[in-house]
Amino acid sequence: MGSYLLKRLAASLLTALLASILVFLLVRMVPGDVVAQMMGQAGGENAAAALREFFGLDQPIYMQYLAWITHVLQGDLGVSWTRGIPVATMVGQAFLVTLEIALLTLFIATVIGVPLGILAGIYENRPLDTAIQSFNIIGLSAPVFWVGLMLLVGVSATFSWSPPLRFVTPDRSLADNLAILALPIASLGLLQAAAYSQFVRQNVVSAMSQEYVRTAIAKGVPVRGIFFKHILRNVMIPIITFMGLILIQILGGTVIIESLFALPGLGRLLLAAIETRDYPVLQGALLVVVVAAMVVNLLVDLTYRLIDPRVRVS
Amino acid sequence: MRHLDRSRLRGLARALVGATMLGAMALTPALAQEVSLYGPAAENAVSGGRLNMGLLLEPPGLDPFHQAADARIRLTVLVYQGLFYEAANGTAAPLLAESYEVSEDGLVYTIKLRQGVTFHNGKTMTAEDVAYSYNYIRNPDNGSPGAGDFSMVENVEVVDANTVRFVLSARNSSLPMTLGNKYGGVVPAGTFDDETAKNRINSESVGTGPFKLVEFVPNSHVTLERHEGYWEAGMPYLDGIDFSILPNSASMLVALRNQRVDLVALSRPQDVQQVAGVPGLTVERWPSLAQTAIDLGSELKPLDDVRVRQAISLAVDKAEITRAAVGEYGTVLGTMTAGMQEAWGLPLDQVPMQGPDRDKAKALLAEAGYPDGFNLTLTTINGFDWMDPASVTLKEQLNEVGINLDIQRVDLGVWVNNFRSSQMGFTFNDWASQPDPNLLFYRHFHAKPDGADFRNWNNAEASALLDEGRAEPDPAVRKDIYNRYQMVMAESVPTIMLYSPDHVTVRSDKVQNFVQHPTGWYFGLARTFLAK
Repeated sequence: MGSYLLKRLAASLLTALLASILVFLLVRMVPGDVVAQMMGQAGGENAAAALREFFGLDQPIYMQYLAWITHVLQGDLGVSWTRGIPVATMVGQAFLVTLEIALLTLFIATVIGVPLGILAGIYENRPLDTAIQSFNIIGLSAPVFWVGLMLLVGVSATFSWSPPLRFVTPDRSLADNLAILALPIASLGLLQAAAYSQFVRQNVVSAMSQEYVRTAIAKGVPVRGIFFKHILRNVMIPIITFMGLILIQILGGTVIIESLFALPGLGRLLLAAIETRDYPVLQGALLVVVVAAMVVNLLVDLTYRLIDPRVRVS
Repeated sequence: MRHLDRSRLRGLARALVGATMLGAMALTPALAQEVSLYGPAAENAVSGGRLNMGLLLEPPGLDPFHQAADARIRLTVLVYQGLFYEAANGTAAPLLAESYEVSEDGLVYTIKLRQGVTFHNGKTMTAEDVAYSYNYIRNPDNGSPGAGDFSMVENVEVVDANTVRFVLSARNSSLPMTLGNKYGGVVPAGTFDDETAKNRINSESVGTGPFKLVEFVPNSHVTLERHEGYWEAGMPYLDGIDFSILPNSASMLVALRNQRVDLVALSRPQDVQQVAGVPGLTVERWPSLAQTAIDLGSELKPLDDVRVRQAISLAVDKAEITRAAVGEYGTVLGTMTAGMQEAWGLPLDQVPMQGPDRDKAKALLAEAGYPDGFNLTLTTINGFDWMDPASVTLKEQLNEVGINLDIQRVDLGVWVNNFRSSQMGFTFNDWASQPDPNLLFYRHFHAKPDGADFRNWNNAEASALLDEGRAEPDPAVRKDIYNRYQMVMAESVPTIMLYSPDHVTVRSDKVQNFVQHPTGWYFGLARTFLAK
């Protein structure tokens, strides 16, 4: 287990390094830079050159990369070019908002999606399955901005209420925090629950058609026993895989929901950094997203090993 | 609907312009006060309370020295102050200046400073701070987009603790307007000595304005608080302003209806229609100094032929494009933005080459060697809502004279690069200026190297008129010069000014005495109060 972890960590570090180079080059391929954005239609070339020098943009790209990665390795992500705030602070705050959204969404999606998927799978082609599948299809096909907007407008029209605009962290006021997050989490959670439910249903249906399950049923093993011993165990791995997918997807930022509900998460931070060509923020935020995705993947893999002895052996 | 009472201001403005520009005549503070700074003072104002204002567009930073974005200027005019205030009618009214004198040759401006002005850090403003701030911004090595506007300033000198002297290399009648609030502002001497100050100024408050910056949390909010040591007695009325950044207009409308925000500026007509008539909300329209335009870069053939440019101008129906783009919320232009038309504009019925006159357009195209028209690519910019409907309408209009228009959308970064390298081709543009014809035209249209001549117009007659207008101190003569300039511009068509989008604000009924400045900047919040 120890050597496995070490190998995984080494591979992760290498991936992160490669990702950092890729991120660094990619953000510079977008035409225009922070100086063009700051100058707009105003400003002469002398002033623009002075600003480029200030930001180090007059240096060759490899020098810029070396300077940046050296600081990153020392734990310094730099300072935002347009906001004057340390990147670590900006990305850290945004990441915590996004992490909370991701975890709450995952919770809602799991609590609703997994039982629905199991029920639909067990009662395949029965009325209950049809009802659940209808929910799934609506959830899978409804765009998230539409669901979010309908919830916002619907709640506003019905209760003359809309979420507060200024984000409050749960440690300052859990009630305010939840009031702000209720609608965005409901929008994301319902859609992810539908996808989750559909996925779990397919896996349950597939497990139920396995010969050992059919044999067990034929032998008269009680339904409860079949379910826990044969079906649930076999769908646990896909269930955990899907959890990881949901987490990674939302940790990458949910620009639409964040914009709709004024949430200061990673998605909006990335979008604003792209618009202003604020490279330190963009690089810092993308690096955090990459590392977060790797951590989630690692956790998913470790969980496999905990629940499935076959994975442990291999 | 409410409109600015501009006639009274205009009368005062003429007196003021006359007094200031005709030579060595000092302004009395009493007269200066008549041009109400920031907007009219309220008679029954109540002090106190915090205003919640919604922002659809986040400022990309709050640095008044190095950031040119309009979304930045809208807010920082409340935090930083220049020597003059850009009064709505085109007058530069003394702000941190108290009075000024101009030498006979027009090259030396001696400016008496207002006394008792304190910075947000409690320090008292002196002539040294003023000289430092303007010497910093005018030096291109310091990287300010505003540096070009100050290129005629040779030096800013301290005369005594309350007086500074601006020495110019050439006459410039819009110097006071240039010393306004768009770029820079007066900050304590030595502010930028530390290199990291260029970054820190986005989150620190070192101005003299009625409000000081407390917090700027990206993607969330900007908090301003009343500057307790502010020099205008009893101002501002508000204890503070909370700007909530909410980029989605549908959510903004919901927030308005539920009193989460008290005031917001909207830009899309469909959004305005959704809140028009909602009890408790008031929609107001204000004249604007912004303009939308079609630019014609002469580097792109066949736009180098003046007859082709004239034909395009004649083929365009500005009113139709305006209706398509913003419905009723825009004012069709001749050669001057709506907010300056009365003061500086060539009368609309005298502007030549105005369409639609398709027969004449076709005749000009035939004369230029294009009887069957030609293909042309229009560049539009992602994120500018009005450009989509306007481009489709323009395509139909040009099609009528045989010009086949392809529409290409590009990112703002790409567009700015093309623009700054004078490779703009045929494009839509969307820009704004201070209320002064020199600041509006000179940089954009004067031949290089004095101007930037982004459209490669290279028109000697126009450049000569722009030089003359900049140097002329007499407002009446100046107006005549700019009328002649506008005739040349309309005849030769380096640009086709389409319309000024009105500023539209929506406020809850408790928000009182808010006046939207024609620049779109939120000066008016310094005079806004909340009804109890």
